[in-house]
Formats: sequence, structure tokens, C-alpha cells
Amino acid sequence: MGKLCPLPIIEIALAVKDALPGTIFRLESDDPATWADLQAWGRMTGNHVRIIERTTFEVISK
Amino acid sequence: MGSVTGLFTSENRLHPAAREILLDGIDKGWADPAKLHRPSRELANLLTESKVIFARILGLKEETVTFVGEPTLGFFLGINGLLQPMSDGRLIYPATARQEVIAVAQSTRRSLSLEVDLDGGWKIPQALPGDLLVWPKANSETGARSPSPESFAGPIFVDATPDPMISLPTRWSTALFDSRSWSGPAGLGIFAVNDQASWRNPMPHLDHRVVPGGFNPALAIASAVALEADLIDRTKTITKISELNSIIRNFLQSEISDVDIASPADALPHLLSFSFLYIDAQQLVDRMERRGFSIDSGSACISANLEASHVLAAMGRLTHGNVRIHLYPEHTQSDITSLLQALKEEVALLRGNS
Repeated sequence: MGKLCPLPIIEIALAVKDALPGTIFRLESDDPATWADLQAWGRMTGNHVRIIERTTFEVISK
Repeated sequence: MGSVTGLFTSENRLHPAAREILLDGIDKGWADPAKLHRPSRELANLLTESKVIFARILGLKEETVTFVGEPTLGFFLGINGLLQPMSDGRLIYPATARQEVIAVAQSTRRSLSLEVDLDGGWKIPQALPGDLLVWPKANSETGARSPSPESFAGPIFVDATPDPMISLPTRWSTALFDSRSWSGPAGLGIFAVNDQASWRNPMPHLDHRVVPGGFNPALAIASAVALEADLIDRTKTITKISELNSIIRNFLQSEISDVDIASPADALPHLLSFSFLYIDAQQLVDRMERRGFSIDSGSACISANLEASHVLAAMGRLTHGNVRIHLYPEHTQSDITSLLQALKEEVALLRGNS
């Protein structure tokens, strides 16, 4: 929380990088650009993303 | 090594052909063109000649050409003048429309923001009674072209500010052009009301004038000269600009990883928007500036209100690490090669994998 673009995406990317496929991550971010960028990141990298609530997101590694 | 033209921002220098005319226009533009004195008549003649040029190139009738000293006001005039006060009609616009359109929409009773796809494409909806469509000729950030609005049965406001040269639709109602889009001086819009349109002046007004405020006649005269010169430049360089666009696309796809190109392949060739994953756009813009390249960005960290480009967000494109490139007739392949090499190096440095 409190981190602006692109830090939330960099951090989730680093977390997912060496994860086993299907690993579930939870991302907390109040940067208003996070959801848009997380979706774009998911499209570009093949990881599955979804929004839980306004500042909480879930990522499932590919 | 030859000099590099490093200016890739949406604001360009005044066209050289217009600069001298602008200075001359300031000398002659002090009079009131509505009066009968000799300086006034001379100025009125110059403005009439300018209107003829605007009308011919922009596809307007000369009598419909009016000058707006504040182009943003043209959005309000063009849209609100078409909305019927007592109607339940909707103000319909693509989600990627300019912020000025969205600001007007937020002050109207009913509006409809149309979804766009990953390429910025959208569909013309069926008009209900009283509906008004805002039709941008293209998107000013990505260059994505708008679908033909000919099937829309209601009035149409044309946002022609991204590119003046795309033809107006047959049934346009009001249209707005921005002098800066043809390397003319800033501070001048061309606003037109189709003589077939049901337009009512939405501003408090005393007389028949369409635009309430004044404008600088020197800017109008210089802008007409810039438009003529820009048309010639564009005609000569249209193939070159398309080739430069292809060079940039090919380089981005082959030489830099994790790039999201927001501008679709058939977009206006002089506009290119793309985003680098994991890159802070502010750092990239600063570093490129230090290397002599001025570029724009739609990322949140660059914008005045710290909000990411609503265009990129609506398209589902990456909003961070965004770069916008505006190609001009004077750009050469050497300029582009230098720009791309600098981008590649700076992205690698910022990603920490140089």
C-alpha cells in the first residue's frame, strides 16, 4: 500500500517469477492505476488476475 | 554526425512559413475588423482570405468558419449547443474521448460512455430521439481511427483536433479543429456549425455571434498559412512517416521485451503510443530529455492530476511506462534510429539489465 506505479506490478512480477504454476498471490495496492495495469500485465505475461475488492487483487501464476 | 531532431511531443514548433506572417499579422492585427477604417478593412480582408483557406482545406463552407480564442471552449459550444434542453437524449461518446468531452458529459443530464476494445475500436450505437454523438476523427493519444458515424441518425459533434485532414462525415453538425494540429500557433481553434444543424448558442449572448470571446487576428492569419504549408508537407512526406512508424514498431517488437503497443496497426501514422512493462515513465522521460529527446507520456506519474491516461485504461493497455511519439514531416530515419537506440538503452538501464 502507498506505492505508485510501476512498483506494485514490479513486486508482483518478482513474486510470481519463480513460483510454481497455480500459486495464488494476494496483492494489496491503493494506487488507482493498479487494476488497469495488473490486467494488462496478466494479458502480456499469461498470469491470471482478478480483483477481490477495490485495493485487493489476486494473482494465480501461470 | 548530422543533427538530430529530437522533438517528438504533441506540441510542435510553429511552422516556419507561419512565423513571418505572424509577426506581420501582429503589425496589422490591432484594428477592429468590424469597423470601416482603412486598417480595419485591410484586416477584415486578411481574415476573409484566411477563412477561405480554412474552408477549402478543412472541408467547410466559408460562412461557417468561426475562430475560438480558447479551443477548449469549442467542446462546450459544439456539444452543449446541440443538446436539446428538455430532451431525454444522451450525450454518447467513446470512453477514449478527450477529457474535455468527458468534462462536458459529467455536467449533462444523461450520457453514455461507449466501451472500446484493445485496439481502441468502438461501435456506433443506434440513436434514440434526442441523442447526440461525439465523434473524434481519431484518438489523439494512440491515433486509433473512429468507425464511420454515417449510420448514426442524430446530431454529431466532430472532434477534429487530433487530425484536421480526415474528411468530415456527411452529416456532421458541429466541428472543432485546433491550430496546433497543423503546426499553427497555439491559442486558436476553428469552430464550425453546419448550416443544416439545429444548434443553439449555449453561452449567454447579445448578438448573432457564435463565439462570445475575442481571438487574436494575427494567430488566425498565421494559422491559415501554417495549414496550407502543413498540407503540402504532409502530402510530400506521408509515405516517409508511415515508413518511420513501421521502423519504430518493428524495433519495439524485436529489440525490447515486454512492450505493449497501444496504437493499432492502421492508426494515424504520425502517432504512436506504447508502454514498457516495469518502467517508471517519469524516469524514462527525464533520461530521454537529458539525451536530447523530448517525448510525451500518458502515465500517471507524468500527468498533472497523477491519474493514468484514461485512454490506455479504457483500452486495457498498460498505463505505466508509457511513451507517446509524435512524428513530424521533418523527422528522418536517422532521428528515429537515434531515438530507438536511446530508448532501448534507457529501458535496459531502468530495468537493471543493461
